[in-house]
Amino acid sequence: MAEDKPVVNPSVILREEFDDWAVLFDPDTAEGYALNPVGVLIWKHLDGSRTVDEVVGVVKVNCEDVPPEVADHCREFIADLVKQGLAGYEVAK
Amino acid sequence: MTQAAASLGREQARVMRTPKSVDIDITDRCNLRCRYCYFFSSSADVKDLPQEEWLKFFEELNRCAVTAACLAGGEPFIRDDLKDILAGIVRNRMRFSILSNGTLINDDIAAFIASTRRCDYVQVSIDGSIPITHDSFRGKGSFYKAVEGIRCLQRNKVAVAVRVTIHRQNVHDLENIAKLLLEDIGLPAFSTNSAGYMGLCQKNTEQVQLSTEDRHLAMTTLLKLIKKYGERINAAAGPLAEARGWREMEEARRRGLESLPGRGTLVGCGCTFDKIAVRADGVIVPCNMLSHIELGRINTDSLADIWQNHEALWKIRERRAIPLSRFDFCRGCDYIHYCTGNCPALAYSLLGEVDHPSPDACLRKYLAEGGKLAEEAAD
Repeated sequence: MAEDKPVVNPSVILREEFDDWAVLFDPDTAEGYALNPVGVLIWKHLDGSRTVDEVVGVVKVNCEDVPPEVADHCREFIADLVKQGLAGYEVAK
Repeated sequence: MTQAAASLGREQARVMRTPKSVDIDITDRCNLRCRYCYFFSSSADVKDLPQEEWLKFFEELNRCAVTAACLAGGEPFIRDDLKDILAGIVRNRMRFSILSNGTLINDDIAAFIASTRRCDYVQVSIDGSIPITHDSFRGKGSFYKAVEGIRCLQRNKVAVAVRVTIHRQNVHDLENIAKLLLEDIGLPAFSTNSAGYMGLCQKNTEQVQLSTEDRHLAMTTLLKLIKKYGERINAAAGPLAEARGWREMEEARRRGLESLPGRGTLVGCGCTFDKIAVRADGVIVPCNMLSHIELGRINTDSLADIWQNHEALWKIRERRAIPLSRFDFCRGCDYIHYCTGNCPALAYSLLGEVDHPSPDACLRKYLAEGGKLAEEAAD
């Protein structure tokens, strides 16, 4: 089940700013990634307990003017986080 | 503190929620007593904290999403528990850098640093191409040990940064220093500064600090070396930075520009917008060089609260709004609209005032004392 429940890389730092944007900082690579407020919302819900569809549901509930293609956008965003090593999927022991 | 900040109408959106990095004097101890060290005889010269205090503080830095710690002192490698300190930084999701005299670095600690994969760089001070120059103010034997420290870091694939502090005894040695560092040792780059009127330098200024002629020589030589080595030689302060900054100001004056963007007020320091510092005794200060301004204490006061609300910290940030025209020192200056007012810490050490332009890097004063711009000299 963990295979479809993404979880953030615990080493990565979320630096939130007063304008609700944030920077993800990976201390292992020294790379930074800017997140808009929706990205921040998604990041905070990648806790390994929710499927991608459930995270999409969180976005729909919490954001205004959600476009019809929101599910695709969320999937792309999460896939990109995984590709960058900023998030992943827990491996069963 | 919160009320005080709010009453001044400060727009907190202008700064980050928490500092991005923290400069930490991890020890008060040093095996050398360099004659121009800014640390000793300053307010930063205090007693060390035990490791436990630092480890607890690193946990707060983690909660504050601080991304990097820069360890200085004192000499960080003098701490027997440096590995534990670094492990605590890594455990709390930060990267780190270390400022060192290089003389206590060995393969064991260099290998450990490499193994963390979180080290941005270890900066080693090299002030001469030969022992007699380097050791003149740092002490006999320190040159060979510092160079071996660099070799040690290189062997272990730790990124090395070198800082050359320019003073009266090495200003004639700059070309050889550049050759040593960039060609013989093979560093990708090094940075330069000059001995400033702080700490022990205040007692030894006649022997240490550059005269007007020395300053001109340093600027001219460094600009010549830039032609050879390009950006492999850099500077944020000192003769090379002044040579570039002053040329820009003179060009603006010649062209009759009304101003240069963002100049004409006390904008000379932006440090307090993204970082903060901690003394060796755990007192939080705006900067290692403004260590007399005590903002609170680690593990007692909230770092985030200090960062967002402490009046003394905001006062330094708000220096940027103070026009240079307010100061008698700047009155009638042709460069007033092109000038930054320079370093507040040097202003404090020279005049006892933070909210004042620093006379040390004043172009008008330099010219009045017979100084020439490096551009003229090169021509």
